[in-house]
Amino acid sequence: MTLLNQIQTVRSRSRQSGSSRITDEQISDLVSKLQDLLPEARLRGNDRVPSSRVLQETCSYIRSLHREVDDLSERLSELLATSDMSTAQAAVIRSLLM
Amino acid sequence: MDAKGAPLPTPPSPNPSGSRASATVDAPKPMLAFHFLRALSRVHAGPARRRTRTISRAAYSSMARAAGPRRAWSRALLRQAQARRSTTLASRRAAVLVRRRVVAGPAPPLALPRLTGRSSGNTSGETSAARAALLPPPPPAPRQGGEPARSDALRRLVPGGAGMEYCSLLEETADYVRCLRAQVQLMQGLADLFSCQ
Repeated sequence: MTLLNQIQTVRSRSRQSGSSRITDEQISDLVSKLQDLLPEARLRGNDRVPSSRVLQETCSYIRSLHREVDDLSERLSELLATSDMSTAQAAVIRSLLM
Repeated sequence: MDAKGAPLPTPPSPNPSGSRASATVDAPKPMLAFHFLRALSRVHAGPARRRTRTISRAAYSSMARAAGPRRAWSRALLRQAQARRSTTLASRRAAVLVRRRVVAGPAPPLALPRLTGRSSGNTSGETSAARAALLPPPPPAPRQGGEPARSDALRRLVPGGAGMEYCSLLEETADYVRCLRAQVQLMQGLADLFSCQ
């Protein structure tokens, strides 16, 4: 069962009992999963990084990934315009098959 | 060529946190490559202007297609792409008007004294809706007790993140970051391939 399913089960159970709070432990578990995704340059020590810092680093990481997508899109559009398509296709097919 | 043994279509590029195992399984990389390459071939066959933006959009929609409808962020991206495809200029203008009216609806009416008769008469409703649209939207209240300040920025970054619960937002963010990273690696590999001629 995924973590989200577990949380939803807990949530429905706790709603029956009257309180509807997700446990902090589950939230910190999710936050640590996010922390694991960050590149190592952004993590100063794996333990006891406050979750607000993890969220902040995640936001800037996502922003940098968006910027990379834009830069690579620009580079790809230039390359598509200028490159010789037949050899490029051969290279792509070769790398896909191997 | 590939030492890892996984069916990676792109030349192996350094993955910063590749040593950590991820708990969930993402879209396989060949699917990502298939959708993106197909979109790229369409871009190449099409008009030469504004290719950068077209390629950037193709990147996000192929990412969403590879992930499928099981994720809220991919559904949101697919909805955006579909809305963009199926709008002409006139209907796009109409969609903007509808969006303004929808934004004006839930906005707190206390700033506008004339908004009490919202249901009465179309004209008064429209002008007050237009006036409400000109006001800056109120900042969304933090959804839950934990980490509200940072999560607003995160909601804006992750597609479809606006209406989610906090823990769903965290899950979606993790998946979105993984897929984004795979997409960037794919595009990097393709750019390297195309540039070594």
